[in-house]
Formats: sequence, structure tokens, C-alpha cells
Amino acid sequence: MASPTLGASRGSPDALPAGSASQEDEEGDSAGWTGSSGSCASASGSSDDLEPEWLDSVQKNGELLYLELSEGEEESLLPETPTVNHVRFSENEIIIEEDDYKERKKCEPKLKRFTKILKSKRLLPKRNNKKNSSDNGPVSILKHQSNQKTGVIIQQQYKDVNVYVNPKKLTVTKAKEQLRLLEVLVGIIHQTKWSWRRSERQGDGERLVVHGLSPGGSAMKSGQIVVGDVLVAVNDVDVTSENIERVLSCIPGPMQVKLTFENAYAVKKETNQLRKKKAQSNTNDLVKLLWGEEAGSIPQNMVDSPHIIMYLTLQLDSEISKEEQEILYHYPMSEASQKLKSVRGIFLTLCDMLENVTGTQVTSSSLFLNGKQIHVAYLKQSDKLLLIGLPAEEVPLPQLRNMIEDVAQTLTFMYGSLDRSFCQVENAARLDHFFTLFFQRALQPASPPPCASPSAWQYEASSAALLDNLPGVRWLTLPREIKVELDTALSDLEAADFAELSEDYYDMRRLYTILGSSLFYKGYLICSHLPKDDLVEIAAYCRHYGLLSLAAKQRIGQLIVWREVFPQHHLHLSADSSTEAFQEPEGRYFLLIVGLRHYMLCVLLEAGGCASKAIGNPGPDCIYVDQVRTTLHQLEGVDSHIDEHLASSPGPCLSCADWFLSGTREKTENLTASPILSRLQGPSRTAASPTCRRTLFGDYSLKTRKPSPSRSSGGSDNGCEGGEGAGLSPHTTLDAIQKQRDFPGSDCSEESGTLLKITKKKSTLPNPFHLGNLKKDPSEKELEIYNTMKLTSGPENTLFHYVALETVQGIFITPTHEEVAQLSGSIHSQLIKNFHQCCLSIRAVFQQTLMEEKNKALSGGDHADSTNSLSSLNPVKEYGVLFECSPENWTDQKKTPPVMAYWVVGRLFLHPKPQELYVCFHDSVTEIAIEMAFKLFFGLTL
Amino acid sequence: MGEEGTGGSVHLLCLAASSGVPLFCRSSRGGAPSRQQLPFSVIGSLNGVHMFGQNLEVQLSSARTKDTTVVWKSFHDSITLIVLSSEEGTSELKLERLLQMVFGAMEALSGFAEAMGTGFVSLMVSGRVVSATEGWWRLGTPEAVLLPWLVGSLPPQAARDYPVYLPHGSPTVPHRLLTLTLLPGLELCLLCGPRPPLSQLGPQLLERWWQPVLDPLRACLPLGPRGLPYGFPLHKDILGLLLLHLELKRCLFTVEPLGDKGPSPEQRRRLLRHFYALVTSTHFPPEPLEKVEDDVSRAQLPRACYLVLGPGEPGTGLRLIALQLGLRLLLLLLAPQSPTHGLRSLATHTLHTLSPLL
Repeated sequence: MASPTLGASRGSPDALPAGSASQEDEEGDSAGWTGSSGSCASASGSSDDLEPEWLDSVQKNGELLYLELSEGEEESLLPETPTVNHVRFSENEIIIEEDDYKERKKCEPKLKRFTKILKSKRLLPKRNNKKNSSDNGPVSILKHQSNQKTGVIIQQQYKDVNVYVNPKKLTVTKAKEQLRLLEVLVGIIHQTKWSWRRSERQGDGERLVVHGLSPGGSAMKSGQIVVGDVLVAVNDVDVTSENIERVLSCIPGPMQVKLTFENAYAVKKETNQLRKKKAQSNTNDLVKLLWGEEAGSIPQNMVDSPHIIMYLTLQLDSEISKEEQEILYHYPMSEASQKLKSVRGIFLTLCDMLENVTGTQVTSSSLFLNGKQIHVAYLKQSDKLLLIGLPAEEVPLPQLRNMIEDVAQTLTFMYGSLDRSFCQVENAARLDHFFTLFFQRALQPASPPPCASPSAWQYEASSAALLDNLPGVRWLTLPREIKVELDTALSDLEAADFAELSEDYYDMRRLYTILGSSLFYKGYLICSHLPKDDLVEIAAYCRHYGLLSLAAKQRIGQLIVWREVFPQHHLHLSADSSTEAFQEPEGRYFLLIVGLRHYMLCVLLEAGGCASKAIGNPGPDCIYVDQVRTTLHQLEGVDSHIDEHLASSPGPCLSCADWFLSGTREKTENLTASPILSRLQGPSRTAASPTCRRTLFGDYSLKTRKPSPSRSSGGSDNGCEGGEGAGLSPHTTLDAIQKQRDFPGSDCSEESGTLLKITKKKSTLPNPFHLGNLKKDPSEKELEIYNTMKLTSGPENTLFHYVALETVQGIFITPTHEEVAQLSGSIHSQLIKNFHQCCLSIRAVFQQTLMEEKNKALSGGDHADSTNSLSSLNPVKEYGVLFECSPENWTDQKKTPPVMAYWVVGRLFLHPKPQELYVCFHDSVTEIAIEMAFKLFFGLTL
Repeated sequence: MGEEGTGGSVHLLCLAASSGVPLFCRSSRGGAPSRQQLPFSVIGSLNGVHMFGQNLEVQLSSARTKDTTVVWKSFHDSITLIVLSSEEGTSELKLERLLQMVFGAMEALSGFAEAMGTGFVSLMVSGRVVSATEGWWRLGTPEAVLLPWLVGSLPPQAARDYPVYLPHGSPTVPHRLLTLTLLPGLELCLLCGPRPPLSQLGPQLLERWWQPVLDPLRACLPLGPRGLPYGFPLHKDILGLLLLHLELKRCLFTVEPLGDKGPSPEQRRRLLRHFYALVTSTHFPPEPLEKVEDDVSRAQLPRACYLVLGPGEPGTGLRLIALQLGLRLLLLLLAPQSPTHGLRSLATHTLHTLSPLL
């Protein structure tokens, strides 16, 4: 398959895999593709009258994706090399000599380009001395730019690299891989099948362009070979794809081999070697940041795992019978995926036949490929069929169904329809990129970025399966003052009353009407003035391109995205509205996203209607961009407040599962001995604990004042029984007896010893919940804690996690990354993973219910239906699952490991408005989902 | 188990795996056998896609439309079974099991000739096994399920001598299923080889063995539909109950513990069946867990699962709860007035009281 190696994307130079391969400017934009990080911050900060730096990056079709990291961010990425590193994702073609490039250009239609991630700062004097170097062309992100201080770069046409190869290591290689000596032996990945197929043929063989370097291979170790280089000779023997395998197979034993490369771009060798390491790591960070993937070659496990996206036509032109003519688009090209491609007949037949037989469209099928179960989801639109196949192991069926809907929605939002996105030739490369990202998210959530904290990342990875496909946006509830401030700022922007935009100023119609805007901070929606449908579509777009997580992790110097979009909400309304209803103007819609630091402001613009009609493919208008950026600048002061609320969100307190397991009754009592808690629950609870220990821990709790941690199994359960006594369910008694057996009195001292350690450790944990509020005086602090919402009933907080989805406004709330990061623990992270998995299957049942309800509404409350529903499981409104878990690595053979039980409960509300709630809480207290929902959803408004 | 439905239709196709020649096709609609067969071309393509994939080393196992599920399964490379079901609440697992059952019912060869009748005896009331010898319980799952079905599906007779083939114990010889009606609705079943002839089981044998226990036998009779001993303490909210023992492969099933308020028995049965399909396909594996499992799934074991049905206000809507304790899995259908938070204790309690029975 096409590796996500950022330099190694398929396609012609023009049809770039969008984004990953931002492309050189065809205007020969020599000005400056590089820049020093020192200057870029100042540039991004100012919106002066100079020509904006992103202007050169606007593509032919008006689209723009321009990104600059902030100064601080870049320095942290590259601490020891304060200059440089201007990175751009680039395709090898670009890096190749310019004449070559232009030549190819001539024979092909000028295709549109997609992304640019670059610096272009021609107007700043500081960079003038670097122009020389930039003139040579862009610097690939995968290249290591030389030291800017020298200001001179010697361009070399060829370079020799000595690498060590050892054919003996090949014993593991199987026969069928014999054609890949280049990869196995040298560590250079060259994809023969498709790259260059249109452009570059020389004689019999293709040029051996380095499309990627396999990790740990000799080539990568050498540090001198970069993606985009062309291998021309091995030990002075000229090579092409035709003879390379033969040449390499002649290497008798371990030896140094001289590889001669045609330099795609000048690299000064000495500096290169020096800074290779640094640059590489920087590169990886940014690459991952944007595309969630390592630079370099694609991981083998992803190549091996069969996955495919196909867009097939069901209407075949019988006149021209061409092989594979029914395939309009497919990705990727890997061997495992070829197999799925080859059985497309199955999918086509099933789609056709099952619809005839059953009258309903096929939604999915499952098959076994090499013993691995693969689910294939179908989406039929008119006479075209979209198929996505993924291994069942990675993606359960309900998730896959959501994903295909999501893909269709996002593509429709971006291109107007699936047909338009798949059938237009110039889109192919963009789609390749789109689906590279898509499959990476689906198959590879498992590579922790070094920049984020492991727990936050783990949370992200385990929650993505559920949250990515919710029809809502992650919402952060903010206190009213901040909210008002944000609302005002957005309203001011939307009013478009500023001088240049007012119609009087130039005495002409304004270009665009601002339909609405929504503001994200670190990936959380904090304010939105957009209709729900638009909001959800825009958020899906941002999520797909990793913009939300980008803003969450890194401070953005400047991000500008501009593209025409097709919000279905507006387009559909205009299609079928009656005469009385509001008529949507026949306009065109544009999405403008401006990012600054952790903020991202998405603005939906309408051309036509009140504003003047858009002609052609207009690029972003400077005035609008500046205005949006100004709005973000206005909000600069607010972010510290928002950060505070991220750390201690007004949402309900959470407990960590590990506290319930590792602890014993002593711990419980001691924790509950905190002054605040005892105020909450009265004094009776603490009476039993020995005084000395209590004072010890009382001290601790005084110091940290943790309100939520509380309950553990043993003692408190006994206490509970007194309270719950009337319930007298046999299992409670049973449990209690069991627990008493588990924690006999003789063990107390030992247990308390371990407990001491635990609590001590905990107290050293930084707790932003408290530290963040240092400036407040103590009484206020206590009051705030006192007021913090506790979702669960009972004296202790037993809530582990929650997700609440509000579909009318298109938002959901769930604990913030910061909150979850505070509750670190191995059991807890497992629990969170399990919670999301379980919610996925619960939600699949709810979706069934929602669908039935919709059908019922459509059929006008048919009576036959209602009797029918009595005998099927629909409608399900509440679904709970009880899990038991015990600590890993329980070493004590004599005692059974302690067991903690917790519920995962999903609740679906149809009236008055559709809402979904998923909560996870400890088994000790009986909870009523409705009450929890009421507390959670209360006051949850945009 | 599979072939009744709520208006959906089920098509069962059996084809020779190598040639694709249809061996038989059965269809049912709304639970009743139907003459409406699938067109031959559809049968052909259903088999075709499966064969096509197989040639390319891709085993097609299932496909779903909005309301229909199709499952393919081939047995011993000789027979392909395809079932296409549009019943509500059909799960793939259920269809797959149905196919296994069908194959078992079809399997023509079996025989352990040494089984001489005495080892395999059971007493059945209304298709439920009341009591059986150890040998009978040791029958494989397919036989254990199919034999009561068979007995239940045959027209009532005083005595039968029926050739049966046991799919689980494989080879050649057909066995004889002898049934004797001891009392109306109460049958004695014997599984045996060529001997003894039915006549030998005649009156004298019966009288000698069964006369002394006639009273207990009579007491068994009314249990039929209820499936539980009379006066067995069950909570009044319980509308239906299914208790499975995963290792013994026995189950206790009733939808008429008491009263007949609420949904009809048929509806109750369907609800329980759908719920069983749901929980077995998501949380509780239908077979006992093997110990070899990765840590993650071991660390987070599902224990119970409940559903609240109905779109209405809180406090309305039937409840379903599944609870697994050791090797026992209990499924309960509960009346709307049963509080959600009490479901688990109710189920635990019920399971404990039922444990001696199974």
C-alpha cells in the first residue's frame, strides 16, 4: 500500500496526496519556503498591511491549508537548533530538479493541490539571506535542512553513501519477498507498482526513487539518504527498478556498499550528518502531530492487516470492457488489500442480489481472510457503492458502520457528493491522503506521541472508538462570565460590521455573509453559533484532518484553512422547502478556519444570497482572515481561565478505579476523614478507625483536600449494609462475608502499610484541581469544592467515567483529558477502555431503537408496529452491564485477588429531545440512571 | 429454536459444496412453512459468491441488510448451508447455530453399536426432559437438543420405534429411538441399537418398572408448561426465566411462572430469545470460557447485563436481566414495576434458589 511516508505518496506531481505532500509552488515561488522560527512568531502575531504570508500557499482551486507552529513549540521540538527547520511535507517529485518537474508538468493537466505546510516570508528582511537556499526549492520535511547560519548551501547533483549490508540476515525472508531486496537489505522502500506510472519512465526500468526508509535499516542508519533521493548506482553499477534486485542479489556477504544517489535537493553533507538526529525527531513530531504517523516507512503490521476502501459503480458500460472498470477508486495498494479487491465480485453481487430478495440494502458482510475476520461495510448511493473493509479485531462492526457513515458525511461536506469526490480525477491524490489518515486512525491508535503524556494519550486512544463517531462535538462547559465574553466576541465577528466589511465602505456588496462560527480550545468546543448540522460536519472535518488534536497538543503559530464546503443542512433545505418556509438562498458555502495558539475558530461563510455571488474558486479573503484572527487575539486573555476549567471542569467529580481495589477499609475511612467529606456525610463513618492512623491520614487529607476519593471495598461496604439494610438482597450479605474472608483482621496491619505508601504517593501527585486555584483564598476554595457536582448518590463518589450526548445541539460532554490524567492507575485505564468498548455495543442497540422510532414516525404510528415491538427487543431505553475486575499481576497465591465490580450503563432518552448518557460507576451504591442524567444534562446549553 | 418468527421469513438452503446443486430448500414465513421459495437464480448467486470467495481463499461468513441476515457455512467440504432470515432480533450467532443443528439433523451416519438401549433413557413431558440417565446427558449438544424436538414434533402415539442418526457420535449405523407413552403427555424415550425390539418393552416390563412410581409421574404432568415444581418460590415480577448451565448443557425455561398478566407467553418467549441472542453475542460467551485469555479481557469480566424496554416514562417498560455466576447463566424477564436498581439482587436471589434444580 502507499505508505504514509510523507515523502512517498503516489500519484503525479500535481495530484498530490493532499496534505501529507504539500507541494512546491508552481509559480516558482522562490521567495522563501524556509524561515527561521525566530521570525515566524512575530509574523504570525502581526496582521499588518503586508501581504499575508499564507497568500502564496493558496491553491488553484482556492483551497488553503497553511500551518505554522508557534515559536515556543518549535523550540521545544528542536531545542538545540534554534534556527531552521522549516518543514513541509513534500512529495519526491517536487524535490527533484526543477526542469524535470516542469517538463512533467507540461504533459499533464494542471491539477489542484491541497496542502501546504510551509513558511513563506519573503517580506521579512531577516530571511533575505536565506533566499538563496530557498531558491532551490522547498525543503522536504524529511530532509534535514542545513544550518541556516551558513546561509549557503552547496547543491550537489549526486552523493555517495556507504552502507553496510548483510545478506546473511535474510534467512527469514520468504521466497515471495525476493523482489524486495532493496527494502530488506538496504532499507529503502521503493514502490514500483504505481508511482511514476504516469510520469517517469526511463528506458526499461523505473527510476529508483526512495519512497521511504524502513526503520532500523542500513539506509536510515546512514542518515544521509532521504526520501525523494533517486538511487542511480550501486558500487558504480547503474541500477533501475529493472535490475536492482539482480544487482543486490549478487552481494556475496556482509560488506560496505557504495550507493550513489541523485540528490533531489541540495543537502550539505557535513551539517546533515551533524544534525540528522535532531531534525529527524523534530520531523517525526510534526508529522505525527498532523498525521498521527511516524515519518519513514509505514509500520509493517498496518501493511499486513487487510483493509480497503473501494468506490464501485454498479452501472457498467458494456461497450468498453476494460479490466477493473467498475473500480472508480480504491486504496490502499498493499498485498493484503489486493485480496479484498479481488473479491469485489462478492460485494457487488451481494449488494445487487440481497436488495432484490429482501428489499433492503445490504449494510455489511463478514468474511475470513487468512483466518482473520474482516468486516465490510456497504454504503450504496444511487448506482455507486462505497465499501470499507477492516479487520474485526481492530474495528468492531458497529463502529465500522458508524465510520462509513462518517466518511460519507465528511466527503459529502467537502466535495458535495460522493460521486464528485471519487469521480473527479484531481481528487484521487487528496482521497489517498484522506484515507491514509482514515486507516491510520482506525488501525494504528497505538503509537503514543512522545509529546503527550501517556495517560492522556491512552485515554485518547481508548475513547476514540466511541467518541469519534458520536454525532456531536466535545463540549467544555464554562462559567457564565467567560461564556458571555466568548459569545460577545463571536457575535461581533458574525455581525461583520467592521469597517472594511460594511457595505458602505467600498460601496459594494460584501463578499460573504457569516452564517455562524464556533470556537474550539484545545480541541474542545467552547462556543458555537452554528446550527447543529453544520457544527457536526465541521467538527468531523477537523477531526479527520487531525486539526482538533493538533490544537490540543501544540500551540499553533498560525493555521488557516479555507475551502468550499457543502453543508448538507443548507443545501437540502433549499431543495425541498415549501413556498412558505424560509428559502435558503442558492449560495455557495465556504469554511474558514483560523487557528492561533490553542484556539481554533471555524467560520461558515455564505456567498450568494445577501452577499455577492462567488465566481470561480475564490481563495480566502484577507479581510475575513484578519478579522477572524483579530477575534482570536481578543480572546488571548481568556485562555488561562479556560485552562483552569479544563483541569477542574465543572462536571462531576470522578474516582479512580484503583482506589477501590488497592485500598482497604482503613484507607476508606482515612480518606473520608477529610474535613470536607466529613461535613458532607456526617461524622459516623470515621468513628471506627484507629486514632493514630486517622491523624496521620487526616493530615494528608488536610493537605490535599481531595473531595472525591473515598470508597474502597471492605469496611465501607459493611457500613453500607447498615444503611441499605432494608434491601437485604442476598448477594450483599454474600459479598460482605466474602470480603470479610478476603480481609481478615490479622491482615490489617500489613494492608495499612501498603496503604500508607499508596496514599503518600498520591499526595505527591500534582493536583491541578487545587494548585490551579491557588490565587483564590482558602475559604472560596473550599466552597468551590463543596459545590462540585457529585453525580452518584450515596456518601461517596463512585463515578468513574461518563459520556453524555445531547443531539439537539450536537454536543457531548465527557471528562477532560486533564481530569482523566489525574486519575492514573492501571486498572482505571483498562476500565476506561472497557467502558468505551461496551458503550459502543450499547450504542449500537440504541441506534437500532432510534432507527425504529424514525421508521415509526414516518409510517405515522402504525398499530401493527406497536404490537410487533412488544415482542422484539426494541425499543431499548436502558442498557446496563456489570463488570468485575481484579488487579493484574496478583502475586499472592494464598489470597484471592480483590474484586471490584462496576456498572456501565447506557440510557437513551427520546423525549423531549434525543439524548444519550453513558456512565460507569462502582457497584456499591445503587444508581438510577435517570437521576444522573438529569444532573449531567442540567444547564448544558451552547 | 430458529424457525418461528414474527412475520419475517427464513430461507434455508442446502447445496452440495462442490457442484452447487441444491439438495433442498426450505422456507418459512411468520413461523409457518411456506411454499414461497427463493428463485433459482438467487440460490445460485448466494452459493456463487461463497464459492467465488473460497476459490480466492476468502471465506464469506455473513452479510446483513437493514432487516435481513445471511449466514453461510460449509461442513466437511461437502455441504454448504445458507440461511437467510429476516426475523427480528436475529443474530448471526443464532443462525450459525441453526445451521449446525440443521447439519446435525441431516447427518446421515452415526453409530456406536454398543449402545444397547439401557444407557440412554429419558422421561419427557411436553418436550422437556424431566429425568434422564447419565448416558442421555452425555449426548452431544446437537443430539440432546434435537431428540426432544423430534419427540415433540411427532404426532402422539402410544409407542414408536424411530430410526435416528446421531450427528455427534459419527459413523454408520442408525439408532433406534423408542418412545412409550406412559401417561398422556409423558413419554419414555430410549435410544438403542438393533435390539431389543419394541415388543419386548411391552406391558410387563412397563408394569414392573413404572407401576410403583406412577404417582410421582402423575405429579410431573402439570409441570409441563411451567417447567418448575409447583409452589416453587419465585418473585412475582418474574414473567419469564431461562437458566442455562454451560457445562452440563441443560437449561430450564419457562415463560409462565405465574399469572398471565402482561405480554403473552409467545411474546415473552421471543423477548427472552432475543435477549439471549443479544447477550451471548456481546457479553457472555455461549460456551464456558477457556482459561487461556489475554489479560485485558480477564481483568474486565462481564457479570450481569440488563435492559429496560419501552419508549415511555420512567418506570414503565419490561426489564430483562442476565446474570452469570460460575457456569450458570440466568436470564429473567421482569414486569415493569420491578425497580431497575433491584434487578441484580433479584436475579442473584433467583439464581441461588434455582441452583439446586440445575
